[in-house]
Amino acid sequence: MKRTDIAENQETGTVKADRAIVALVCGLWLLLALFAWIKAPGSISLEERRTLAQRPALSVRSVLAGTFMDGFEEYAKDQFPARFGFRSLKASVRYHLLGYKDNNDIYIEDGIAAKLDYPLNDKSVQTALNRFQWLYDAYLEGTQTNVYAAVIPDKHYYLGARMDYPSMDYDRLFSMIEDGMPYAEYIDIADSLTIEDFYRTDIHWRQERLWDVAGRIGQALGTGTASPEAYVLTEADELLLGAYYGQSALRLIPDRVVYAENAATGYSRVFNVETDAFAPVYDVEKLSGRDPYDVYLSGAAALLVVENPEARTDCELVVFRDSFASSLIPLLLEAYSRVTLVDIRYIRSELVGEYVDFVDQDVLFIYNALLLNSANVLK
Amino acid sequence: MPCGQVDRGRYMLFSSITFLYYFLPVTLTVYFLTPKKRKNLVLLFASLLFYGWGEPKYVAIMLLSVAVQYAFGLIIEKHRHETQAKAWLAASVAFSLGLLGYFKYMDFFIANFNAVTGLSVPLLRISLPIGISFYTFQILSYTIDVYRGDVKAQRSLVNLATYIALFPQLIAGPIVRYADVAAALESRTHSVRRMRLGLGRLMIGLSKKVLIANSLGELSALFGETQNETVLFAWMYAAAFTLQIYFDFSGYSDMAIGLGRMLGFDYMENFNYPLVSKSITEFWRRWHISLGSWFRDYLYIPLGGNRVTNRRWLFNIFAVWMLTGLWHGAAWNFVLWGLLFAVFLVLEKFWIGQRLAAAPGILSHAYVLIIVGVSFVLFDAPSLTEAVRRLGLMAGAGGIPLTDTVSLYYLRSYAVTFLLAAIGSTPWPKHVAERLRTGRIGQRTLGLAEPVVAIVLLLAVTAYLVDSSFNPFLYFRF
Repeated sequence: MKRTDIAENQETGTVKADRAIVALVCGLWLLLALFAWIKAPGSISLEERRTLAQRPALSVRSVLAGTFMDGFEEYAKDQFPARFGFRSLKASVRYHLLGYKDNNDIYIEDGIAAKLDYPLNDKSVQTALNRFQWLYDAYLEGTQTNVYAAVIPDKHYYLGARMDYPSMDYDRLFSMIEDGMPYAEYIDIADSLTIEDFYRTDIHWRQERLWDVAGRIGQALGTGTASPEAYVLTEADELLLGAYYGQSALRLIPDRVVYAENAATGYSRVFNVETDAFAPVYDVEKLSGRDPYDVYLSGAAALLVVENPEARTDCELVVFRDSFASSLIPLLLEAYSRVTLVDIRYIRSELVGEYVDFVDQDVLFIYNALLLNSANVLK
Repeated sequence: MPCGQVDRGRYMLFSSITFLYYFLPVTLTVYFLTPKKRKNLVLLFASLLFYGWGEPKYVAIMLLSVAVQYAFGLIIEKHRHETQAKAWLAASVAFSLGLLGYFKYMDFFIANFNAVTGLSVPLLRISLPIGISFYTFQILSYTIDVYRGDVKAQRSLVNLATYIALFPQLIAGPIVRYADVAAALESRTHSVRRMRLGLGRLMIGLSKKVLIANSLGELSALFGETQNETVLFAWMYAAAFTLQIYFDFSGYSDMAIGLGRMLGFDYMENFNYPLVSKSITEFWRRWHISLGSWFRDYLYIPLGGNRVTNRRWLFNIFAVWMLTGLWHGAAWNFVLWGLLFAVFLVLEKFWIGQRLAAAPGILSHAYVLIIVGVSFVLFDAPSLTEAVRRLGLMAGAGGIPLTDTVSLYYLRSYAVTFLLAAIGSTPWPKHVAERLRTGRIGQRTLGLAEPVVAIVLLLAVTAYLVDSSFNPFLYFRF
């Protein structure tokens, strides 16, 4: 072939290539844009556990104030088609291709996802301590209650420390809580847990592996140790893709929820003060819901009262807690006729006294390390 | 936004879902469906919408500037050979710089006035109209060129407004001279080839901004917040911020050049691999070329350039570089940043220039990287005190450890990004592509790879943008 022929062919080929490339790239681009425009907006992100931004109202005022524009970009990102797929793509590019050690502060070791949360936020821990002190001063001082406190280390305590990840100063956290709550007996449960006692994909611990923790707490409270033989374990069919799966958007093997039943959990009923409704200790309908972990005491609630008519004693327990306690309390239930669970993320501390009479109960403050490190959510 | 300290405020980013999937597809579709005669009108409308998306009220200021300078242009041209032309030009310059001075520098002057006099004149706290530093310099280039007779005054208000407001270069440059686009404003060609090239450049720019600059920005921000200060972290920060600002700014320029090409405009290159320079003089020939050449043509040369006495030349150099620093932001660290370069330019001119040229490349290259890295620490710091503190950390001041778990973690985590950024800041990838293009097989491979790479980059950029809305709320109650 002559040189001029080659050049002509190349020229023709180039024009064809130009058209093909522009058509391909612009075609995909337009397709995505069209999807973005016509896609029906979703209301929540299950993975991130939050509501999704909706199209902002268009008005002269919102445009002039700029709120329309701010809201529109949030809406455009939140409602983008295949949003979680794109988030997964980003996670894969970042984590696998570019070699980042975490995505959105979630890292994976041995197939287990954990959160990087460092350094220890002394201010936050002090905020929590101030809140607890307020509760003690307002409701507990001068009563015959016995007060206990425990900190649940997060997964990073067990996983990250051995992997050279940045870490909060856990020892300092434990001692801050112990020293900052002189009115409470501190229960050290850190060495009662291992990384295997947590879900791979979620922040929470696994109820079926909490015997040591329940035993340690039971001993401290004087109710005796939990005996696994007394429980029947039921594994749910539904898969649990926990909060860290959603946050990391990385591929993880799903977990399964197991719940431990005994006579006490069967007899007991859970009264939700907010909804004025009763539910069983294990609300199995929640297993097929948005978060299977909600099977334990029906999930997050401001104020729950668990009544156990067949309790060994007429003792009562009040627990200031986060979601970790939902799976722990059924294991302590046998010894208490009544357990009140207070979550001051959802109810103001000032209102607690309207619903709970503090007389001579056992009172347990139990919070996970991550919450204590971001305690501004406590009201 | 490149040069993060330049123009603060709300604005539509190229690297946003709103721009990429709403504004741009609609604008391009309407633009290409519109007859040639009306294309500028479409561009003007789109540009005003783009600009108004950030601060609607500042559209009025821009339109006022356009209208006033349109009139000045015509008047200056009418009186070009008369003495009053200079007065009209002075009025035009005073108007433009007056607006810039009011919005950008007034609080800086008040703060310094208060510091010197001990008074407490309240600050105005005006939000800065986005892009005002860029479009002011574009407007100035227009009226000055009309005065010099280098260009004819634009008769069409729409064309002049389109030139000033054109969205590809409006908020982040390059500073496009009127003379460079005057012909294209009247008539320009569009082709599939230009579209392909423009798309490619846009994708490169987007990737530089979203995949590299934003990621390195996270590391810079982490350093700003960390309680684990180490020498290693301080140097990583300096390197990350230097690369971040390069990829951010040059990425925006790439996007502007790509968008311009798609729309029929040819913008000048704004960056030419500045981080491979072997002297500061060379660095500034390669960095933000449109700004450097603007100051050269409209300030340095009118001041006499280097065809003056040494003393006068020194004044020219320091004046130009002080103003270059001030252009980047109304704070003393920017002024010092500019003056730092002036010092090294003078040093290179009189003392070390020839030695640098004769030194091994690795040494002269290291010299540039250290000076530039240090300069950007000064540039990025929120205050002079903090700049000095950060530079001290780089030198190990205060007995901080050399490294710790946190620094090593981030070094491991960002290693690939650093490597990619370092390679991407050199012309090597371009050279490899050019070499491949010389052979038939290589050419064919590149031809096949191009759309794949473009699509992969589009999807990756989209993924990063979509994930930037990630905002978990662990305690959300359904």
